[in-house]
Amino acid sequence: MRVTSSSHSGLGEWLLQRVSAIYLGLFLIFLIVRFAFWPISDFDAWRSWFTLSWVRILWLFAFVSLLLHAWIGMRSVFLDYIKSFQLRLVLTLVFASGLLVSAIWVIDILFRNGG
Amino acid sequence: MPINNNNSVDKSAYRPVFLNLLAIRLPVGGVVSILHRVTGVLLVLLTPFGIYLLDRSLSDAGFFVQLQTWLGQMWFQITLLLICGLLLQHFFSGLRHLALDIDWGIDRQTARITAWLTFAGTILLLIVTGIWLQ
Repeated sequence: MRVTSSSHSGLGEWLLQRVSAIYLGLFLIFLIVRFAFWPISDFDAWRSWFTLSWVRILWLFAFVSLLLHAWIGMRSVFLDYIKSFQLRLVLTLVFASGLLVSAIWVIDILFRNGG
Repeated sequence: MPINNNNSVDKSAYRPVFLNLLAIRLPVGGVVSILHRVTGVLLVLLTPFGIYLLDRSLSDAGFFVQLQTWLGQMWFQITLLLICGLLLQHFFSGLRHLALDIDWGIDRQTARITAWLTFAGTILLLIVTGIWLQ
């Protein structure tokens, strides 16, 4: 077992990984049902669906869940397989920056046409 | 066998480093578990492309039409099915892990069955998706 001087147990990450997973699973089912029964045929219908506030909120929660889920998952993968501390630090920082950029990008997509 | 002062076996003394991956017979639950990680990493790498598609499809009418055209073409359908395969496998193995978290299906027999069921669910839904795309 890894010995650390940290009092941080990781329980928060454990729970967040499950909560985000459940939201993403439900969101996926929602998307499948939505598009299977009410297919979107053109650009205007696609755009106008995204003008609905509740749709934007659901998508925003989905991306927040996705980015957090990806962060915790990739951190575990880095910790498990990258033995070199320096390399792990670099990869983690690069990945964290990528997530941050993704978050800003998604917020811009969802809210650029006036919230 | 080396015995240390506490009279217990010192395993670290001659623990073999055995990483012949072809010779390690991983139980099906282990395969599902590692697949959960592999599909997770691949899905993370694909996320920027997904955000890009969302961005362009919402801002450019021509790109939306382009996407619709691609949806009818073989190469795009195959790519889409591969990505759906990753997503479905991650979804089902994740569902299995959530069940194991609450001690559901924890006994060996059930755990093996649910491991195989993640493959079955993925394949079944991939077939449905393939038919839906036609």
